[in-house]
Amino acid sequence: MHLRRLWSKLRTRLRAAREIYEGIFMAPYRSQIHREYLEQRDLFLLLGFSDLLGAPNPVAFYTLELYPELIEQFHQWHLRMGMEHAPEGGFRCC
Amino acid sequence: MLLGRQILFFGGKGGVGKTTLAAAHALLSAERGLRTLLVSTDPAHSTGDILEADLGPEPREVLANLSAMEIDPAREADLYIQDVKARIAETTPPRLVSEVERQIDIARVTPGAEEAALFERFTRLMEEAGGRFDRILFDTAPLGHTLRLLSLPEQMASWMSGLIGRRRKVNALGRMWRRVAGSAAGDANEGDDPVLAALEDRRARFERARETVSDPDRVAFVFVTIPERLPILETQKAVETLGRYGIPIGAVYVNRVLPESVDGGFLQRRRERESEYLDRIDDTFRSYTVHRIPLFETDVHGLDALRRVVAALPQL
Repeated sequence: MHLRRLWSKLRTRLRAAREIYEGIFMAPYRSQIHREYLEQRDLFLLLGFSDLLGAPNPVAFYTLELYPELIEQFHQWHLRMGMEHAPEGGFRCC
Repeated sequence: MLLGRQILFFGGKGGVGKTTLAAAHALLSAERGLRTLLVSTDPAHSTGDILEADLGPEPREVLANLSAMEIDPAREADLYIQDVKARIAETTPPRLVSEVERQIDIARVTPGAEEAALFERFTRLMEEAGGRFDRILFDTAPLGHTLRLLSLPEQMASWMSGLIGRRRKVNALGRMWRRVAGSAAGDANEGDDPVLAALEDRRARFERARETVSDPDRVAFVFVTIPERLPILETQKAVETLGRYGIPIGAVYVNRVLPESVDGGFLQRRRERESEYLDRIDDTFRSYTVHRIPLFETDVHGLDALRRVVAALPQL
């Protein structure tokens, strides 16, 4: 019983220590990783659906089935790019 | 041994008689007891005309062992769009369904949609060779079109590979982001990626199609031309293109060669001109089997006329 409480306390402390460690060392990278993640996601969106922007996309017909998966990302993208509403010509998600 | 292959494509410039030769081969194949399917993509229904049968978008038996069908690219594209819409209705949030459908309707009218749908149908039919049918013969649309169609798997597979690579990178970064962000990662999707799965499935189908059309034991492309300047040039170019994509060439047919017996000064002069072209054909396509088919007194219409063409075919 006693041992178990001690162990649980120790675990809480360890977790706190890890969070402090991460806060110091990882925080600067966090935003970097996030930015990189979003950039890659946007690039994928562009390559998979370049036809929406007027650039030829040889596989447009075959990426149709991906629309439902990606329409939400398109929405996030135009918000992030500072466009309140979806740009003309693409998905009209809002 | 043309008929030793499971799948034959017949191609050539418009009007050189590829429909006739494709039908003649199909008839020969059926008469040898092979379950044969003749597939036409000609919107003018000339295959049905030659076979004296009413053909539809699904295989229909016209003679013992011989089935035929006419594919309409527009219809195929519509069917594909319907299929995508049905799948989408299951997975899309209701508020977005109409928007997604609007976008898909736009894609339906883009150039290449019908071609892609046609290709889709071709690949599915090719998978039936050796199953429901022993031999499948495709009477294809005029050359440029067909060449693009046959080069599609190659190009599409590599484009898909590019997308798949990108998608993997996105997913790896997503995992990294979730690890460092913990709960702050919020909506970043976890687990299996349906987009990646769909892309990989597509690529696998393209690759199967590519393997099939470049397998010389299973597939051959048969060119039909006539002894005239432009058809020869076009065939020459097409032969080079197919070679580039590794699609095996079975034979070159020279159709409508003037028979020896024709007389009259006019025809005599034509034959002199023709023999120059025939020499040129023999020279240009010397690494392939070249067969000559004579010009008939009447145009080929109906099974009796078709049997005369079959009789003129070389020993296959």
